[in-house]
Amino acid sequence: MADSTQSEFVTLVSCDGFEFIIPRSAACISGTIRRMLDPASKFSESLSGRCVLENLSGVVLEKVCEYFMYNEKHKDQANVPDMEIPAELCLELLMAADYLDT
Amino acid sequence: MAIPLDPRFRVSKPVHNPHTGNMAAMRARHKIRAPRRSAASAPTEDFDTIWGELSSSLTEIHTKNGSSLSFEELYRNAYRMVLMMRGDDLYERTKSLEENWLRNHVQKQVTDSILPILVRAQNPTSMADVQDQSNERRAAGERFLAVLKDAWSDHLLCMGMITDVLMYMDRIISADRTKPSIFVASMALFRDHVLRAPVRPGSNVTVADVLESTVLFMIQLERAGHIIERPLIRHCIQMLEGLYETIAEEESTKLYLTTFEIAFLNTSRDFYREEGIRLLEVGDAATFCRIASQRIAEEQERCRYTLAAITEPKIAEVLNQELIRENIEEVVRLEGTGVRYMLDQKQLDGLWNVYILNARVDEKKRALTGEVSKRIVELGLEINASSLAQPQAPSAPEKDAGGEKKEKGKEKEKAVNPQTASAIKWVDDILALKRQFDDVWEKSFMSDQNLHKSIEDSFNDFINKNSRSSEYLSLFFDENLKKGIKGKTENEVDALLDNGITLLRYIRDKDLFETYYKKHLARRLLMKRSASMDAERQMISKMKMEVGNQFTQRIEAMFKDMAVSEDLTASYKEHIARHGDLDQKRIDLDVHILTSTMWPLEAMLKARNGEMQMRCIFPREVESIKQSFEKFYLDKHSGRKLSWQAPMGSVDLRATFQRSNGKTSRFELNVSTYMMVILLLFNNIPDGESLTFEEIQERTGIPEYDLIRNLQSLAVAPKTRVLKKEPMSKDVNPTDRFFFNNNFQSPFVKVRIGVVAGGANKVENQDQRKETEKKMSDERGGSIEAAIVRIMKQRKKLGHVGLMNEVLTQLSARFVPDVNMVKKRIESLIDREYLERLEDEPATYGYIA
Repeated sequence: MADSTQSEFVTLVSCDGFEFIIPRSAACISGTIRRMLDPASKFSESLSGRCVLENLSGVVLEKVCEYFMYNEKHKDQANVPDMEIPAELCLELLMAADYLDT
Repeated sequence: MAIPLDPRFRVSKPVHNPHTGNMAAMRARHKIRAPRRSAASAPTEDFDTIWGELSSSLTEIHTKNGSSLSFEELYRNAYRMVLMMRGDDLYERTKSLEENWLRNHVQKQVTDSILPILVRAQNPTSMADVQDQSNERRAAGERFLAVLKDAWSDHLLCMGMITDVLMYMDRIISADRTKPSIFVASMALFRDHVLRAPVRPGSNVTVADVLESTVLFMIQLERAGHIIERPLIRHCIQMLEGLYETIAEEESTKLYLTTFEIAFLNTSRDFYREEGIRLLEVGDAATFCRIASQRIAEEQERCRYTLAAITEPKIAEVLNQELIRENIEEVVRLEGTGVRYMLDQKQLDGLWNVYILNARVDEKKRALTGEVSKRIVELGLEINASSLAQPQAPSAPEKDAGGEKKEKGKEKEKAVNPQTASAIKWVDDILALKRQFDDVWEKSFMSDQNLHKSIEDSFNDFINKNSRSSEYLSLFFDENLKKGIKGKTENEVDALLDNGITLLRYIRDKDLFETYYKKHLARRLLMKRSASMDAERQMISKMKMEVGNQFTQRIEAMFKDMAVSEDLTASYKEHIARHGDLDQKRIDLDVHILTSTMWPLEAMLKARNGEMQMRCIFPREVESIKQSFEKFYLDKHSGRKLSWQAPMGSVDLRATFQRSNGKTSRFELNVSTYMMVILLLFNNIPDGESLTFEEIQERTGIPEYDLIRNLQSLAVAPKTRVLKKEPMSKDVNPTDRFFFNNNFQSPFVKVRIGVVAGGANKVENQDQRKETEKKMSDERGGSIEAAIVRIMKQRKKLGHVGLMNEVLTQLSARFVPDVNMVKKRIESLIDREYLERLEDEPATYGYIA
């Protein structure tokens, strides 16, 4: 995946080493990730398509990715059912959302 | 570890060991815990350390080494600093970092690229100087612009990256404070430290000034026909568009709008003012228009590709004002090349250009309209003048000319006298003029409504300036209906009549036209001169469409009379046959019974010298026929009065001439009724005897004027000399004696003897004209009174002004009433107690039932 600046998938890596490969469009729901991958700004992430998110643990990142996919799936729909959020993850997810500008 | 089911993402095996190892969420699944402080990072790191890292990275970005940096790392650093509640510090430090960078690197780069020549050009000493150095200056300018452009795009790119990295800070800082985002702040820094930096230390010329003058210089070069580096300028302009006066970044405070555009418009204004003057000096309207159009297109293109689209309407306004509005009137009026010349030379393209230009600055196109109208009226008056001048000259020998014409072209029926010819020429000329302008209007003026109206008005004007227009037009119809129709297809006839009708539309005094038309029509009908009844009817239906029912009513009645008369004649013949009237020398009678109110009898009979025509004494044979018909007619319609109009009729005579060698020869003579009466007198006197003028007058009772003319035809006109006159002369005197001319010769068996100067419809002479006018004004008086009474009957009460207006509108279809005349008529109606002045309301009339 290292060569794919414009590849359809990007890799998100959690601080504890879990890697999630999800569609670029889904990942770019996050403002932070979008900027990180923006081909116009020549940061290393945008060149490699691989984002190491040192602030997020695997569990949180997994939930985040789930949200990305969920969001992507229901992009243009109204009355979407709520996503299931485990109570103990709430605060961490909130922080992740803040960090990721989602 | 539970993996989400969506097949599109999967979890690969951990790449390296988690360096904290505390999978917090995994361990404490069922209770909410406060999140750990900043997850994994070392909390010990203080602000300055992180800033140190970050600032060196930011510098890296500026030196274009961004790709070696990890966005995540930078972002996380900034994030952490903000979480440390040091966001403000971060902001300020970034700002000063940027400021330093701009001041120390970029500014220097830019100012270094400004060669002295660019600064010197700031205040050019002389025009020649500028000319000399233009190439040099241009090259230097391009270099400078390129450097500036690079600096700007670098700055944009770097700031884009930095802003991205500092996104978190921006969100926090700009959200709750009134600080601009770091991007906006850095733009302002660029403005202050690059653009507004002095070119040289201590100089008061700034980079922006140089930029402005350079770009303007380039534009000037392009206007002078050089090719310049458009994209480069475009970039610099975009830079100006991206910078604002204040950090609020309102649209209207773009640097482009506040500085450059103003300067641009000012120089353009000066340039085009000079260009306008220069072009006027050249003095060629076509060139002016061509160059102006070209300039307009150029400026449009310049705005689109070199400057900003937003300027387009403004520069267009400058062009409109300086180049067009200031000059268009003079251009239009330019001697020898202006609109007048173009109209005369039918330069449709040129006119089109003028039209387009004028339309840009004036919706009504007053300059152009005025000139076109003026030219039309001028040409029209020329036509008027030539049609009036022409008949003046040959009017003296008119009688002779008529006589000679008869001699030459009697059979051709071409006895068009010069006045009539000029009347017809007048109409033809006007039609040609109209066609010409219609063509111009359609092709050059895009069928513009305003212009159409003014063209129409102009025609209206000059046509009505010719007091004889109604008469001339009627003559035109007369001529065409009499002989013009022959050999023409229906369509041609149609077009011809339509043309005439177009002119009719312009004529204000339609009643006058009606009078003439009726008069001419009467002649055509009675003398059977009309070439085609169909065409006549067509003509009437066209007039009806154009002017209305009322107008053609009487004309139609004339046609009806003709038809009725034909029936009547037929039934009279039947009646005679039935009663077996035995007169061997029976005379065929053909009568036209005319309703006297419908026919312009007075006009035809012309109460000459004030006396109404005398009774003509008919010969016995004719008189008996006349009485028999009168009896027949009055039996049918009791209570009517028949009055015989001898001057209107014509007679076919069979004449026998005793030649001196004993032979006889016969001719069929077609003569007027009067001539018949005169000739029949000679039946009763022996050969060789003569009658004096006075004797003839006594025995026939023909009015002197008619008698003279008829005798002229019979005794003077060379081809139709049925009588001999003593002494032989051109004029008929009361003492002349007349003999029957047994030696009458003619190549034809049938001879038509016209009455001198009386048979054909032609232009009236002064007296007749006065007559007609007098009659006209009487008739109008009647119409005005009728209109006033009609209006008042309906309104009961009306102010003076209101009444005036109503009268004018009601009558305008027929003629334009004279205001004084209307006033007089109102007075007279008051005198006759149809109206009253209301006591309590001044200037108001009341209707008396």
